[in-house]
Amino acid sequence: MTATVSPPCDAEAAICARGIVREFEAGQSTIRVLHGIDADIRSGEMTYVVGESGSGKTTLISIMCGILYPTEGEVKVFGTDIYKLSDTELVNFRLDNIGFIFQQYNLIPSIDAASNAAVPLIAQGVPLHEARERAKVLLDKLNILDQADKLPRQLSGGQQQRVAIARALVHEPRLVVCDEPTAALDARSGRRVMDLLREVAVAPGRACIIVTHDNRIFDLADRIIVLEDGRITHDGKDMPDDH
Amino acid sequence: MAILPRNLSFSRQILPILAVIGVIVAAWYIISGQPDREIVEPAEQPPKAVGALADAPRVAGAGVVEPASEVIDIGSALSGLVTEVRVRPGDRVAQGEVLFRVDDRAARASLAQADAAISEARAAISEAMTAQRTARQQLDLYRSLTDPAAVSRAEVIRAEGEEAAATSRLGLARARLAAARAAAATARTETERLTVRAPIAGEILAVNIRPGEFVATQGGSSQPFIQMGDTDPLHVRIDIDENEVARVKLGAPAVISPRGAAELHVEAQFVRAEPQVVPKRSLTNSAAERVDVRVLQLIYALPESEDFRVGQQVDAFIAAKDGPTDAED
Amino acid sequence: MLWIAIRMLTGDAQKFYGLLFGIAFSTLLITQQMTIFVNLVQRGASGVYNAPEAEVWVMDPVSRTTDVSYAMPPTALDKVRSVQGVEWAVPHLRAVANVRTKEGDLEGVGVIGVDDATLIGLPARMAKGDKSVLFAPDAVAVDDTGSLRFFPPEIDPVGQRLELNDQRAVIRGIADSIPSFTSTVVLYTRYSNALNFVPGTRNRLSFVLVGVSEGQTPSEVAARIERETGLKARTREEFAQAGIDFIIENTGIPTNFGITVFLGFVVGVAIVGLTFSLFIRDNIKQFGALKAIGVTNAKIVRMVAAQAGLVGLIGYALGVIGTVVFILAFSANPFFKGFYIPWQVPLISLVAVAIILAITGFIALRSVLKTEPAAVFR
Repeated sequence: MTATVSPPCDAEAAICARGIVREFEAGQSTIRVLHGIDADIRSGEMTYVVGESGSGKTTLISIMCGILYPTEGEVKVFGTDIYKLSDTELVNFRLDNIGFIFQQYNLIPSIDAASNAAVPLIAQGVPLHEARERAKVLLDKLNILDQADKLPRQLSGGQQQRVAIARALVHEPRLVVCDEPTAALDARSGRRVMDLLREVAVAPGRACIIVTHDNRIFDLADRIIVLEDGRITHDGKDMPDDH
Repeated sequence: MAILPRNLSFSRQILPILAVIGVIVAAWYIISGQPDREIVEPAEQPPKAVGALADAPRVAGAGVVEPASEVIDIGSALSGLVTEVRVRPGDRVAQGEVLFRVDDRAARASLAQADAAISEARAAISEAMTAQRTARQQLDLYRSLTDPAAVSRAEVIRAEGEEAAATSRLGLARARLAAARAAAATARTETERLTVRAPIAGEILAVNIRPGEFVATQGGSSQPFIQMGDTDPLHVRIDIDENEVARVKLGAPAVISPRGAAELHVEAQFVRAEPQVVPKRSLTNSAAERVDVRVLQLIYALPESEDFRVGQQVDAFIAAKDGPTDAED
Repeated sequence: MLWIAIRMLTGDAQKFYGLLFGIAFSTLLITQQMTIFVNLVQRGASGVYNAPEAEVWVMDPVSRTTDVSYAMPPTALDKVRSVQGVEWAVPHLRAVANVRTKEGDLEGVGVIGVDDATLIGLPARMAKGDKSVLFAPDAVAVDDTGSLRFFPPEIDPVGQRLELNDQRAVIRGIADSIPSFTSTVVLYTRYSNALNFVPGTRNRLSFVLVGVSEGQTPSEVAARIERETGLKARTREEFAQAGIDFIIENTGIPTNFGITVFLGFVVGVAIVGLTFSLFIRDNIKQFGALKAIGVTNAKIVRMVAAQAGLVGLIGYALGVIGTVVFILAFSANPFFKGFYIPWQVPLISLVAVAIILAITGFIALRSVLKTEPAAVFR
């Protein structure tokens, strides 16, 4: 579809997406959300994916982290063409390589903070006790070790978010995907969270993608990819001025 | 779950454990509550074929014990009051032994009357003989007189008449004696008939009269006065359903058990089969019972035994001919 | 992961107990109704089970059950005794009579005449008195139904007189018997007494009870009796089944109980299905998150199965315990006398619970499995 020839993948790239097209069926008509995206996410960087609602940034990020099949195109995550994997292999790939921080946190309400943070380890088959110990190390790092035995509903929003961050990092994934981490926070808290994320999530060999449209934190990015109507309109260290 | 021992959860730990315990208890209750549908061995021994008959073709029948002579219902030839009963049930009597007497006063009176008539006749005979002798002497006297005038003709005729009268009186008296003797004999027989004697040697089985009771020769519907029979040996009369008759091996011994003592098994020898097939007699003592089955009655002799009594019901098994009955199927 | 699943389930107490209630209610309804049904139709065979010695029942070819019988001539007993393989055979009379109680009430009763000498045909146990009391003249043993029906509790039935078809009968004992389907009062007496009590018809031998020689099976002997005597012979099991079939064929009981059991099943599916679906819907985001994080569908299925299994185990246990408690609570009621829970019934309800959970779990799972993990970003 796209006229331009995509450049080959950089071997260093954490994610290399090429020619990503995604269409959704909407009744009789087909809506094309992404129009042939080429994007590279590099390790050791905090990359922002920015765009208005409906710009396709959620779709792009879903495709890049292997939870949504693209209509066309290929995605290599750390060199693995993830959409050539079988369903189960893809799920296990996500489990081993990707950490998620959801906007709603999606913590399991009936298990305590430590167990929630340990979910990826438990899913990997780590015994419960060991998984919780490892999760607690991370909770300690996030300064909420004292909340480890509390249920999510007993925690404040910020504490819940820290638990969610711990869950994303507990299994030491190479890619961390973070959806609107500051949307529900005031400016100061937002910056604190971003500092925290940079502290724990950004490391050599580990990529961190932040999906956001919160302009208060744009200055914290290593790199910003701007999406408009399913196309990348900007890719650079700073935000373009028209935003 | 051991991770949170301090938070013992009702719904996660106590409830499932209670559920498991509950299921086990319920299972135990259900299993132990299953009804006892086992076959039970009879507490008392029912009649059954034993020994060789247990596995061989056989015919079963029910019967009654009876004396070898069958039961003799002693009757009385004459009606009257019973004055004396000489026997009791269970007594053994010889042939001709007195069983009971019926009031014989009337018979004795007529005997006395006849005896009196005999004496009277005898007296009349002697009187007539005397008169005859006197008349004859007188007549001889008259006849020895040669002188016709010594005695008148009329005198002679009178003497002749007297002699003839005496002779006929003697004849009459003799006849009366004979009649009186006959009457005495009749009276004596009567007396004899009022004494009932045993027709055969045997055992008294029942006595249904007592002194003072009236025995009647008519009617016949009432109980027999005395029952007796020859109980050595005892016989059993076994009813065999007419449909089974063809299968019975006639002449073979029978295995007999008295009712209520089925563990006793006595072998009885074949005596005879009744020639007639008769309607089955009810053995249940129920007057209302009527049946239309016919049976052949077989008579078997029981060995000496204390266990059988006349009138007792028995169950019998008799060998069957090796007929169409298949031994193994 | 299963630990998480269980936590998720029990974390929502309302729905958890709702699910338990649904399963427990279904189990209770199915188990309890089937138990009553089985016991009720088995009452049709009570006459057979009340004569525990008999291995084979011989009857007129037109007789159908212990209560629907046509009498045979008395020589039938001897005919049966003549058959090889018959260890013993005794007469058995079953008839109906009218009893006038002291108060003057008229009541139809069953009269059972058992063998005079051996008393074969009496129930296995006597509730009061010994079996040998029947040897007394005019003695009858009343069954426990009758002892309760005829006499107020403060009166000891033993020694009481009854007027049975104008004959005097003295109650000498109480038989511990299984009540009949109609709960008719039954008087046990000796065969010869029974002939007196019951108005005379020509033939009165209702049944011949047969014991089988060692080494022979009842069905072999029954077949031989049929062939050689022309009478109808049934093994104990066959005849018990005949009594049950008679009830099933001639009453609406199977339909009624079938409907109730079906309703129990439907109610179970409805309650459990709705609650389970609601529960899954409430947790759909968590499931979505788990799927995104990297939990395979197979693991999700196992999680839901574990949830269903826990609900099933506890709910089923509650239902079965409820049934047991019900049966225990009513065991004193004469109507429920001898009621038991056939071991097959809890297994059937277990299968029903499994089916309910499989159906509802499958419905609930479908929405989870269909959930796109990407949905968590929206």
